[in-house]
Amino acid sequence: MKRIKDFFRYDNIGLLFILPAFIYMMIFVGYPIISNIILSIQDVSVRNLVKGQKNFIGLANYIEIFHDAVFRKAMGNTLIFTLACLLFQFLIGFLLALFFNKNFTFSKTVRGMTMIPWMMPMTVTALMFKFMFSTDVGIVNYILRSAGFIKENIEWLTTPGTAMISVVAANVWIGIPFNTILISTGLTTIPQELYESASVDGANGWQKLTKITLPLLRPTIESVLVLGFIYTFKVYDLVYVMTEGGPVNSTHLLSTYSYKLSFDMFQYSKGSSVANVLFLILLLVGMLYLRITMQGEED
Amino acid sequence: MKKRFLATFVSAVMLATVLAGCGAATQAPAQETAAKEETAETTEVADTQTEEAVPASEDASGDVTIWYYWETAGHQEALDHIIQEFNGQQDKIKVQAKYVPFADFKKQLSVGASAGELPDIVILDNPDHASYAAMGIFADITDRFDVSNYYPGPVNSCTLDGKLYGVPFGSNDLVLFYNEDMLAEAGCEVPKTWDELLDVATKTTKGNVYGFAHCALQNEEGTFNFLPWVWSTGQTSYEINSEGGIKALEFEKSLVDAGAFPKEAINWTQGDTMNQFISGNLAMMINGTWQIPTMRQEVPDLKWNVAPIPQDKQQASGLGGENYAVIAGGNEEAAIAFLQYATSKDTCLYMMDHMGYISSDSTIAKDQFKGDAVYQVFVDEMQYANARGPLPEWPDISDAISLAFNKVITGDSDPASAAAEAQATIDSIIGK
Repeated sequence: MKRIKDFFRYDNIGLLFILPAFIYMMIFVGYPIISNIILSIQDVSVRNLVKGQKNFIGLANYIEIFHDAVFRKAMGNTLIFTLACLLFQFLIGFLLALFFNKNFTFSKTVRGMTMIPWMMPMTVTALMFKFMFSTDVGIVNYILRSAGFIKENIEWLTTPGTAMISVVAANVWIGIPFNTILISTGLTTIPQELYESASVDGANGWQKLTKITLPLLRPTIESVLVLGFIYTFKVYDLVYVMTEGGPVNSTHLLSTYSYKLSFDMFQYSKGSSVANVLFLILLLVGMLYLRITMQGEED
Repeated sequence: MKKRFLATFVSAVMLATVLAGCGAATQAPAQETAAKEETAETTEVADTQTEEAVPASEDASGDVTIWYYWETAGHQEALDHIIQEFNGQQDKIKVQAKYVPFADFKKQLSVGASAGELPDIVILDNPDHASYAAMGIFADITDRFDVSNYYPGPVNSCTLDGKLYGVPFGSNDLVLFYNEDMLAEAGCEVPKTWDELLDVATKTTKGNVYGFAHCALQNEEGTFNFLPWVWSTGQTSYEINSEGGIKALEFEKSLVDAGAFPKEAINWTQGDTMNQFISGNLAMMINGTWQIPTMRQEVPDLKWNVAPIPQDKQQASGLGGENYAVIAGGNEEAAIAFLQYATSKDTCLYMMDHMGYISSDSTIAKDQFKGDAVYQVFVDEMQYANARGPLPEWPDISDAISLAFNKVITGDSDPASAAAEAQATIDSIIGK
């Protein structure tokens, strides 16, 4: 009797409360991940998806994809894409947050309106940028030409190098509001008195930024960067609609290449191996994020 | 001590009541569902009994579901029309169709195949037919459907290892579309050879107008539009690193280098290409039969016409179109009964005319489009139309070919090395 009673003391009763969530996660998150890992160590292609022997071949799929030039290219592209997007959307988002923090007339309204790119369906954004970067009728070339920066139209989406710039630009546009809003929220937590007393002590604007704002915003900045990394690393729809990974595989990301292998080329096991590499990288970053937030709570 | 005992007793009683309450509550619905199941079973039994009462020759019955991917409203209405007609004629088989977007179609089929949740009939793109047949999801209908009157190309696309895994729905092929006014303005005749095409395309290129384009996407759609060049040299789809294959890539390059072929075509679907043409941004394009109804409706005033694709050594075109396939283990008998109806002469003619397709049944195609000069060019081109594959690994071959011409169009590689690279991939697949 005592044992039962003890069991329902605070510590254990918590376990019962998380049980529904745990079961949900096991079914809808755990099962697909495990089944995908199993798929990636089998040899499943068009010949044996439905019937026939599905042989376990260990890590052969992984070895094969790491020898695959397109995979290596997609891996590099994903890193370049993520880092470039993070850099620009963070810088611009940060500057906008500082700007809207100035409490001028309509600052709150305008800040709200900057959320529009974030709320727009990804496919709409992608199509819009596809038109804007079109070689002959795109507005980007029109502006650059009118301003005298270029004489010949740039073939944005049809040349390997510039296609990457175009998709990065589109994704930066989407990501800015996310950065702005989170950093704005962070800024409101910094007490105004600190700035006031700094002014009394004769600090200039730059010193206030580097000595007060940045150090106090550190936890926010870390969260924004890590979450931004996770969101950007797994982008799929934007690139699929804008370039489908082309021209000549120059904008293939791990996500688009995994889809292509599985559902265009019917190489299910190779496709799932690529997806697992993507998953593994995000898992590591996600754990880093958890560590950062936990440290933050302990502080 | 007494208090403690009392407390435990009370809580035990409460717990018991709660548990009992739960039990009762769960039991009641369980009984209900059991009862429902029983009634369901009895009705099912009743159903099978009535089915059995029907004469044995008409044993096909039940529901038949069809998956298809046509997004054009006219195509959907035509299919719906024949289904309604079929359902109205008899009361044993009930057919219904479900639209699955083309972009999701292959994914849905693959996922459905591994989950065992498939419809009874699919209408699919013919180069994918062999892949799914190899997966084993299509029923072998070799002696159950007569295709002896059909064109060999389409039948070949439903055949794997000598067995018939489907019925050609209808075919289309590619021809050269040209803007009559633009050609007349440039003082050009309709090109018949590659040299003439390059010449006319260069002369008609001015301002925002490009002389010539075809869909050059790095996927099956692009491959479909590119392969006629290779076939025209006398080489096959599997011989890219050959005299003809390289020549085809070089020809593509010469069009791009002349500024007559927009590089942006690597991002154009066939629909986009058609839109560029009817907006007056293209003087010539390669495109297919199915665009005609839309073009006649959208731009009735535009003066355009069609001609066979300009050739190198021999006339060639790409064979496109869909096939019906019956899913193995589905309601096969009823599905075949519907296919017999759908491919009967009047029904088939109705579908083909509303969709701008050419029947794969040569006896029906002969009577199609009498007096329509534009369609007649397509019908004539049918005998030169080559099928892609059939090979379960065709998507990989197609990917290698489309990568090759994308590399050439974007200037990423020269024709010879692009061809060599594509050939290495193709050989590794065929050699397997």
